[in-house]
Amino acid sequence: MGEPVCSPTLPGAVASAVQHQAHVVAQTQMARDTYCLRLHCPPIAEQIHPGQFFMVRLPGTDNPLLGRPFALYDVYEEDGQKAGIDFGYVTVGKLTSAMAEWKPGQAVELWGPLGNGFPLPDVEHLALVAGGIGQTPFLAVAREALGQKQYGNPPRQLPKPAKQLTMCYGARSAEYLAGLDDFQMDGLDLKISTDDGSQGHHGFVTELLAESLESNSAPEAVYCCGPEPMMKAAQQLCAEKRVPCWLSLETPMACGFGICFSCVTRVKLDESGDNWDYRRTCVEGPVFPADQLLL
Amino acid sequence: MNRLAVQLNRLQLANPILVASGTFGYAREAQAYIDFATLGGIIPKTITPQPRIGNPPPRTIETSSGLLNSIGLDNDGLEQFIEKHLDYLLSLNTSIIANIAGRNVDDFKQMAARLNEFDGLAALELNISCPNVSGGVDFGTNPKLAAEVVGSVRDACSLPVIAKLTPNVTSVVEIAAAAAEAGADAVSLVNTFQGMAVDWRRRKPILGGVLGGLSGPAIKPLALRIVWQVAQAVDIPIIGVGGIACIDDVMQFIVAGATAVQIGTANFYNPGIANQLVGELSEIVEEQGCTHISELTGSLQT
Ligand SMILES: Cc1cc2nc3c(=O)[nH]c(=O)nc-3n(C[C@H](O)[C@H](O)[C@H](O)COP(=O)(O)OP(=O)(O)OC[C@H]3O[C@@H](n4cnc5c(N)ncnc54)[C@H](O)[C@@H]3O)c2cc1C
Ligand SMILES: Cc1cc2nc3c(=O)[nH]c(=O)nc-3n(C[C@H](O)[C@H](O)[C@H](O)COP(=O)(O)O)c2cc1C
Ligand code: FES
Repeated sequence: MGEPVCSPTLPGAVASAVQHQAHVVAQTQMARDTYCLRLHCPPIAEQIHPGQFFMVRLPGTDNPLLGRPFALYDVYEEDGQKAGIDFGYVTVGKLTSAMAEWKPGQAVELWGPLGNGFPLPDVEHLALVAGGIGQTPFLAVAREALGQKQYGNPPRQLPKPAKQLTMCYGARSAEYLAGLDDFQMDGLDLKISTDDGSQGHHGFVTELLAESLESNSAPEAVYCCGPEPMMKAAQQLCAEKRVPCWLSLETPMACGFGICFSCVTRVKLDESGDNWDYRRTCVEGPVFPADQLLL
Repeated sequence: MNRLAVQLNRLQLANPILVASGTFGYAREAQAYIDFATLGGIIPKTITPQPRIGNPPPRTIETSSGLLNSIGLDNDGLEQFIEKHLDYLLSLNTSIIANIAGRNVDDFKQMAARLNEFDGLAALELNISCPNVSGGVDFGTNPKLAAEVVGSVRDACSLPVIAKLTPNVTSVVEIAAAAAEAGADAVSLVNTFQGMAVDWRRRKPILGGVLGGLSGPAIKPLALRIVWQVAQAVDIPIIGVGGIACIDDVMQFIVAGATAVQIGTANFYNPGIANQLVGELSEIVEEQGCTHISELTGSLQT
């Protein structure tokens, strides 16, 4: 069994996290079944950085009971101050269906920021690989990597902006592609794929990654978020090319901050992976180096 | 005088609000949300003699106003607990109650003796009720075995002993009476109710452990009923646990006969709740014109 599951150092435990009564400022539709909520919550907005998440709960009801994890899409400002967060979501069940009805002023309970987030990229060429709603963490990653925006408190200092930023974004079909306007930014090379060929490359998003890894200017690091089969494929491609890869997991969570032990994933304890242990993705992740995971 | 201080035989607590085992990690995870020193006490996740990897995910699934879990006592074992967590826990200025589970009487005895070597623990809570553990003796469902475990732990250490009982029996009263007879300082009522969730389209159980334990607001009336039944029949201090999510819930357990309570699942969806309840409890005691919380304990009239 080796290393302890609950080592005292938890890279994704955030000592300055807060529980906060927020409210909805705005809601917009991003794509089919996909929406973006803007919540006013300065104490979380001030400190959150790309790849971190927070728990969202509807107060005053037992059903749904638990909070649900969502990733930061972006931080918005008011009068030059970080005032709140935007996050994108797809309606899949109890809370997200209710959320689609939320109007400005709706009270929302939040706790966060949570998790380790993506490391600050220190490479010339970074590739982002997103499947479906797995695109949401990458707007802030892109803005940070290109030196357009700073996140965190104190603000994270990028060693130098990425010279090249590629984003491979795959969805079921064109109508599910969300936030394409947001991702139109100088310096970001956006490559689209759809399962049905209705827009961009007809096939898997990992085929776009493979192409990029084969090219003359291959990425030196890959960040990935999406459904598990896609992450597995990205993990394998990057391992073959020996390109460092980070995966952001979307393991179901009950608490989001390490007290329930429900969000576990298998983490290798040696290179072969014969020895592994369950680790909590909320406080040891959700972002892991791909070569550490047994998916 | 502290109007919230409570005494459960040899165990004294600064106030009746505890956080339940398995729902507060090893406390450090909650430090952003909770001022530990204001709590009545902390019960860390169950410790077993050897490391246990726990059940495969999914380990939890939400149900109507409840939560089903099959964590499977994922923990690193007693020695790792001592090495990694004990010092930290004992530094928190609140009562720390270690919760232990073994597969046989000897396991319990040895763990109790080992933990007895450390100064500062407030008590031991014996998890003789975990429905997620296979291969162990079901101490919680047999009054004789329950008494044997409690008695041998009492002999093995000088710490107050709490027996945490399962509701998955015909009569919790019988088990509680046996634990009291064997010298338990208190009983914690209750652990989770065994349940199941099914994904019928896939013809599969949802939980990796197939069966799970139900907790949360859905079980509160059941837990309350058991607390009241035991309070009527057995002369032993009771720690009520099951679905407590607000101060009215706390008061319901207290008037039904609980001397203290544990907050479990509510910690997951309201991280600051335990602190909030301590404050509110103090106000309620004053509002009720009581000089001490004990004036309200077991005050239910039928
Ligand atoms: C770190 C992290 C970040 C995330 N970020 C985002 C994000 O930015 N945007 C986003 O959209 N999502 C994100 N997710 C996923 C998101 O948390 C879930 O989509 C959300 O929790 C769904 O909540 P819900 O109440 O709508 O669905 P639930 O009702 O909880 O259902 C969730 C899924 O489980 C299935 N399910 C539920 N109950 C049962 C049952 N009894 N039997 C069988 N199946 C069942 C449902 O069909 C559904 O597919 C993230 C997850 C993590 C861990
Ligand atoms: C995810 C989870 C893990 C638990 N783990 C333990 C445990 O390790 N040991 C234990 O004695 N009880 C454990 N319990 C039971 C709780 O301590 C408590 O008795 C039960 O959940 C009922 O209270 P609640 O409804 O307030 O949660 C666990 C409960 C949950 C929900
Ligand atoms: S979600 Fe509770 S420990 Fe990770």
